[in-house]
Amino acid sequence: MKISRKAYPVRTLGTALLVTAALTTLVTGNVLAKPVRSDKQVAEERSALMAAVAKGDGLWHDGKLGSNGLACGNCHPDGSATNPHTFPKYQSNLGRVGTLREMINWCITVPMQGKPLAYDSAEMVAMEAYATFAHRGVAIAPAKDEQHGAVPVFGGPGYPQP
Amino acid sequence: MQKISRRQFLGYSMKTGAATLFTGILAPSASSFFGYGGVAAAATKKITPFTFAVLTDAHLYDIADHKFDKFLEKAVADVNSLNPLPDLLLYAGDIGQSGKEAELKKGKKILDKLKMPYKVIPGEHDYYLDMGAAWRGLFGDEHWSIDHKGVHIIGMNSILVPDFWSMAGLTPKERMGRMEELECHRCGLWGVGDKQLEWLEKDVKKLSPDTPVVIMTHSPLWSYYPRWNFQTYDAPEILSTLSKFEKVIAIHGHVHQVVYNQMGNVTSAGLLSTSWPWPYPPVDLPYPAIKMNRVDPGDFEDGLGSHQVSLGGDFAGEINYRAFSDLLPENVRRGVKL
Repeated sequence: MKISRKAYPVRTLGTALLVTAALTTLVTGNVLAKPVRSDKQVAEERSALMAAVAKGDGLWHDGKLGSNGLACGNCHPDGSATNPHTFPKYQSNLGRVGTLREMINWCITVPMQGKPLAYDSAEMVAMEAYATFAHRGVAIAPAKDEQHGAVPVFGGPGYPQP
Repeated sequence: MQKISRRQFLGYSMKTGAATLFTGILAPSASSFFGYGGVAAAATKKITPFTFAVLTDAHLYDIADHKFDKFLEKAVADVNSLNPLPDLLLYAGDIGQSGKEAELKKGKKILDKLKMPYKVIPGEHDYYLDMGAAWRGLFGDEHWSIDHKGVHIIGMNSILVPDFWSMAGLTPKERMGRMEELECHRCGLWGVGDKQLEWLEKDVKKLSPDTPVVIMTHSPLWSYYPRWNFQTYDAPEILSTLSKFEKVIAIHGHVHQVVYNQMGNVTSAGLLSTSWPWPYPPVDLPYPAIKMNRVDPGDFEDGLGSHQVSLGGDFAGEINYRAFSDLLPENVRRGVKL
């Protein structure tokens, strides 16, 4: 079929519109992609993270991870001085590039004289969630050789609000 | 010296949860460029020069041969080796970790090896298992004052929090457990309380303004980082009572680090522990040049130490941080003027 030069742009535009409409139908109809998460789902995911942070908070302050009474929280209140935003990096106590999880286990086994957590355990995930959440908003800076405090926390009963 | 009225003082301290505004107003900034604090005006009354030692925050556990036992023993040996021998030793709280009598007894046994007399105040770790009963049995009054060679030395219990345990139905052990967390989410701010404020008022009433005064509390007498109780909520009232003196030297434990501030006529210095060091909290230091270096987690003695304070005839003071390892920047190693 011959198409006049005049008619060509109109037909192309029409085809493009049809394709767009079809794609929109596919997407919104949950054929090609997952739907945008609902507020409820977002809230559930957030609360799952906060449950892990809370579990980590509990473990962080529990002397039972070690054998000499010490807890992570003794030296690292609010997860401070853990510098999660700087990992992986060379750790002189490991003698190689290591991860935050490896550093957590180093603290548990050396200063605290306890047994290491399995790297894929819910406990280790919770510990990492706690320390990382305490540094939310801090820019990722691998190998940055500078101590970073935890994010200032002013909340909680009895504490002044900012 | 900048004078702050009581009303201004209270107003600022109530309004600011963060320490920065509060300290920014009180800290003369010029001196911080030089690595020393600005030296407060000397007291005019002459004293007989002497030295005293300070230790704090041993956090002993009721576990045999615990590493923290050795650190306190090392600090005691260090103080005993000083020449001249200090006239006395002040201990700024937290001998124990969980408030157990066994921890406090172990600490007393080690401190009794000191070659000089010592005075102690309680920290929160000594206290909240039995509300200080065992501590008082071993060490006596929670607040006291002594006069030594013309200096009036005051010790106060600054770790009293409002009752958070009765309504919550906590056992003494649970109460102590919560207080053991530095960032205790439910414990609240601590201070000396009204009874001690009244006692302090009476204690200093008859002293002339030119009397040199040293005051020791567990927590700092300024709002440093309330989240970690690096504060004493009624410090403004304490400082107001002490404002009549020409010069006051305040020393405190609890922070496990080198930290310095000036509040009007009061010069304040924080101390190294003999247990573990703490990182600086996420607020600006009023005197950033007076701090310790970042510690090495692999060296368990890094960030720990003892202290010697020298007082001259005109009450010119200097604190020497005697760190167990090479931790201090040069300006702090030389001694910090008080």
